[in-house]
Amino acid sequence: MFQVEYAIEAIKLGSTAIGIQTSEGVVLAVEKRITSSLMIPSTIEKIVEIDKHIGCAVSGLVADSRTLVDHARVECANHWFVYNQDMKVESVAQAVSNLAIRFGDSDDDGPAMSRPFGVAMLFAGVDKSGAQLYHMDPSGTFLEFGAKAIGSGSEGAQQSLQEAYHKSMTLDEALKVSLTVLKQVMEEKVSGSNVEVAAVTPDKGFHRYPQKAVEQVIATL
Amino acid sequence: MSLAVMDGADYMRDPRKHHFHPYADNGGTSVAIAGDDFVMIASDTRLTRGFNILSRDQGKVLGLTPKTMMASSGCWADVLTLKKVLNARLTMYSHEHHDVMSTTAVAQLLSTMLYWRRFFPYYVSNILAGIDEEGKGVVYHYDPVGHMEKLAFSATGASVAQIQPLLDNQLGALNMKDVTPPTITKELARQLIHDAFVSAAERDINTGDGILIHTITKDGTTDEKVKLRRD
Repeated sequence: MFQVEYAIEAIKLGSTAIGIQTSEGVVLAVEKRITSSLMIPSTIEKIVEIDKHIGCAVSGLVADSRTLVDHARVECANHWFVYNQDMKVESVAQAVSNLAIRFGDSDDDGPAMSRPFGVAMLFAGVDKSGAQLYHMDPSGTFLEFGAKAIGSGSEGAQQSLQEAYHKSMTLDEALKVSLTVLKQVMEEKVSGSNVEVAAVTPDKGFHRYPQKAVEQVIATL
Repeated sequence: MSLAVMDGADYMRDPRKHHFHPYADNGGTSVAIAGDDFVMIASDTRLTRGFNILSRDQGKVLGLTPKTMMASSGCWADVLTLKKVLNARLTMYSHEHHDVMSTTAVAQLLSTMLYWRRFFPYYVSNILAGIDEEGKGVVYHYDPVGHMEKLAFSATGASVAQIQPLLDNQLGALNMKDVTPPTITKELARQLIHDAFVSAAERDINTGDGILIHTITKDGTTDEKVKLRRD
């Protein structure tokens, strides 16, 4: 499957995104590439809410991710409608994977996507089995991780995460680790405006960190 | 009728109203009572059609998951189909989500499934009983098009008019001044279900022959069969 292999190569050019799972919740942190001083950084959105208990960080062709994110949101809403419960993080990853590998098909609903989706995704969520982090690549393969990096800096970042990660990490520690690792692998100097940070916790669900809060953590690095 | 008209084609006949009878009423009564850590769900074992008895040994409670049971009565053909489709949905869920459905999820699913048939409903009265995520007993009552109500006790089916007022009085202490409702123990629930069915069998020909009482706790389910009058 050359198409899929090329897609997997393509996502290695995307901006770096990191997810870290702890017992208190999951942290997502992504790099925003500001390619022009005229660009408004706040309009780059690479961390999105799927449902109140699940967030998603993407790397690669962000436009492609919109389709997958839309699908995930519809699945979550439908699961709530039919079962009156939050969808499991694994089930969301499975549902998105089902769409991701449907390229090339055509059925009664018309032709599907003609090529693989050029995105890697990190699903962070909290369900009845606790905080969880799932990674999915363009082949539709999805796996659970303690900590995972995707995008251009992923090789170095994954190495650093392996050294820094431990099971008894707090959410604040994970936040600090994620920004430390981003700082290591980013070409630009890390700042409050060129990173996007969010977390999912049992109490607050999905929530973004305001720029001020991110800057405070960066100052301690 | 003249010969000319009798020989004529269908469209030449007098206008006549055609009727469509897709439903049968096969009777059957169900009761469920929830306690703090248990729930009891019972049904009679008679299946009728008009003045005929089709079966004296047909329980109407279906086990759905280890913690959830459903009592279903009305048009027996619809009961069987609903049961078949619901079990298929439960199996699909367990394959998709690697988990047994919780009682609250089954409750919502049943409501959704019934409402999908809003304009050609399953002619069934349902009660769902189970243990919820907190380990508490819960009862859900449905109308045929999926309106759902979470309750502590409920009756449905042929003898609902005889049994529900009894439960309201004995368990809910409804419509009385200065009376506090009792704590619902297994003994009280068991006794009340028995009395309720005995009274209903006295008055209603669609209820009788026997009772099947199922008790669900966190440890599993137990069944008991009790005789009722057979005339």
